[in-house]
Amino acid sequence: MESNVSTEGPFTVIALAGEVDLYYSPKAREQILSYLNKQKNVLVDLSKVAYIDSSGVASLVEGYQLARSKKLQFGLVGVSQPALQVLQLARLDKVFPIHGSVAELIDNK
Amino acid sequence: MEASHIFSDIKPTDLPAPPQAAIQIMRACSKAEVDHTALTKLASSDPILTAELLRVVNSPYFGLSKEVTSIARAVTVLGQRALRNVALCVSVRDALKEDAIPGFDTSAFWEDAIRRAVSARILGSMTSVDLDDCFTAGLLQDFGLLVMFFLQPAHASRWSELRAQDPDTRYGTEIAIFNTTHEKVGRMLALTWALPEDLVESMGHHHSNKSIPDDNHDQLRKILQCSDWVAAVYNATDKGDIIDQCRKMLDDLLGLDSAQAEQVLTAIPDQANQAAEALGLRIEQQQDFDSIIREANVRLAEANLSYQELTWQLENALNERDRLQAELNNELDLAREVQSSLLPRASSVDYPVIGINLSARHLSGDFYDFFTLPDGRIYFNLGDVSGKGVHAALLMAKTISLFRCLGKRIDDPGQLLGQINNELCETSTRGMFVTVAAGLYNPKTGNVQMVNAGHLPAIMVGKDGKFGKLDAEGLPLGIIADGEYPVKSFNLSDGSLYLFSDGVTEGYLIGGEELGMRGLLNLFRSLANKPPQQRLESITAQLTNSAEALRDDATLVLVEGVKPGA
Repeated sequence: MESNVSTEGPFTVIALAGEVDLYYSPKAREQILSYLNKQKNVLVDLSKVAYIDSSGVASLVEGYQLARSKKLQFGLVGVSQPALQVLQLARLDKVFPIHGSVAELIDNK
Repeated sequence: MEASHIFSDIKPTDLPAPPQAAIQIMRACSKAEVDHTALTKLASSDPILTAELLRVVNSPYFGLSKEVTSIARAVTVLGQRALRNVALCVSVRDALKEDAIPGFDTSAFWEDAIRRAVSARILGSMTSVDLDDCFTAGLLQDFGLLVMFFLQPAHASRWSELRAQDPDTRYGTEIAIFNTTHEKVGRMLALTWALPEDLVESMGHHHSNKSIPDDNHDQLRKILQCSDWVAAVYNATDKGDIIDQCRKMLDDLLGLDSAQAEQVLTAIPDQANQAAEALGLRIEQQQDFDSIIREANVRLAEANLSYQELTWQLENALNERDRLQAELNNELDLAREVQSSLLPRASSVDYPVIGINLSARHLSGDFYDFFTLPDGRIYFNLGDVSGKGVHAALLMAKTISLFRCLGKRIDDPGQLLGQINNELCETSTRGMFVTVAAGLYNPKTGNVQMVNAGHLPAIMVGKDGKFGKLDAEGLPLGIIADGEYPVKSFNLSDGSLYLFSDGVTEGYLIGGEELGMRGLLNLFRSLANKPPQQRLESITAQLTNSAEALRDDATLVLVEGVKPGA
């Protein structure tokens, strides 16, 4: 239940970890929105996420929607298997840009 | 003298010096054999001092039966020790005169010192310790503090604060201000002035509970410890507590009972006036002990009153919290009631669609609904709003209402969800979304048109026990407008179609493990021959048997096919 923020190339990378549930989601949401509001391109690293519920997914959706309205980039990186299953089930893997890793994304630019 | 004097560096020359003649008289009187001739000679060298000593020894406080007129005579009548003490008292009194420390009320200090002195003297009389020794030690016990202010006059303004504190608190404050104690400074001064050992010890140790090896010195130490507290009754603020502490100490240290303690405390003002007069020090009108007790009682009553007031306020706050909590709970109960009224009422026994919602503690984000169109086809749905609580419940209410309202006009489930999606996207907030599985069932033909917007797959169970799965092909509602919601058509025949929320698959079984998709499929199969209502109840019963609380709402809808023509 902790997150870590770093800057890599043009991206602010927010790494979520543990269980992204009803209690953790508001914190994750606030962090994601605050960087987008500072006009940063945001990547959310889900590699250490063991569980994500619909409130967690809603935080990602809100980030995605805000980024779109601000014409910023928003994406997910290193999506863990449990998180990927949830996203796939809701077809949201078709909505969010998903990348293997930040390095991969920057190299392909 | 610099304001930031460091006490570890004190040199004897920094300390206030007593009149030399007084010191010499004091020393002469400390010798085993008093040299009367030498004393007379010393006295004649300082006639003012001699006059002052004689005035003091002849004062009513020392209570001589006959006036003495020479120092040599004083030694004979009073004893050399008593004269030594008088000389010492006069010396310290004169060492720091009224205006020695700028901004410092020296007379207030002496007033307190006199109360300590007379208190020590009374205690001496009750415990068979030399009265004059006690008086002198009491007068001198806090002299170190005066010296500290003398060396660091910049702190003079803190004196009134120290004076209002009890001895223990004052000791701590003193360390905070000066980074040393009056015991250490007093002891240093006593050594510098070559005072008798009993004074050095008692000045240096009257705040510690540690015994001094010499019994007489130790008794004096205890007396000084008590006299500090007795005097504090008259100058500190918190009189009630100090009086209690005094009584306790007088009993613990000196074995005095409460009547004796009363006697000591009551005698102070009068004795202090007499001693001040004897020493030629001016002191304020002394408050008597009765009025001090009255003042303490009033304070105690006030404190009790404010304690009661606090308790009362706390009780009120707790009651108010409980009232608000009850109000909120009422509101939530009402909301839950309204929410469950949004779900369809139980239908007739042979109606082909039924649903069940097992409510977790929260207001729910789950919903299901079904209703018949004029042509006999039945719309059904089961959905789940992201998150939980009031905000999820509000979006649930909006979605279920849109479905019912628009569903009566749009008989294509794909188009219907597309419309609802656009409506939700228009007012989307906080990334909230809704996953829905929905369909239109024609009981006459067994035909089903299904659509799945990001929800768990719907499961069809054939009479032969085979499963069919209808995965989500569209996105959850409320994320992106103008989405596609592809419709899948199939014939249910006499099979069963189940829709369910993740509260079912993620629910706990009696053993503590999750039911899971596999477990649910097994239940569908094993319950296949039971009546529809009993099947749903058996499934939810599995989840409520667990010791773990239901962590999410569990919702199921069953569309039971009827073999055409049956």
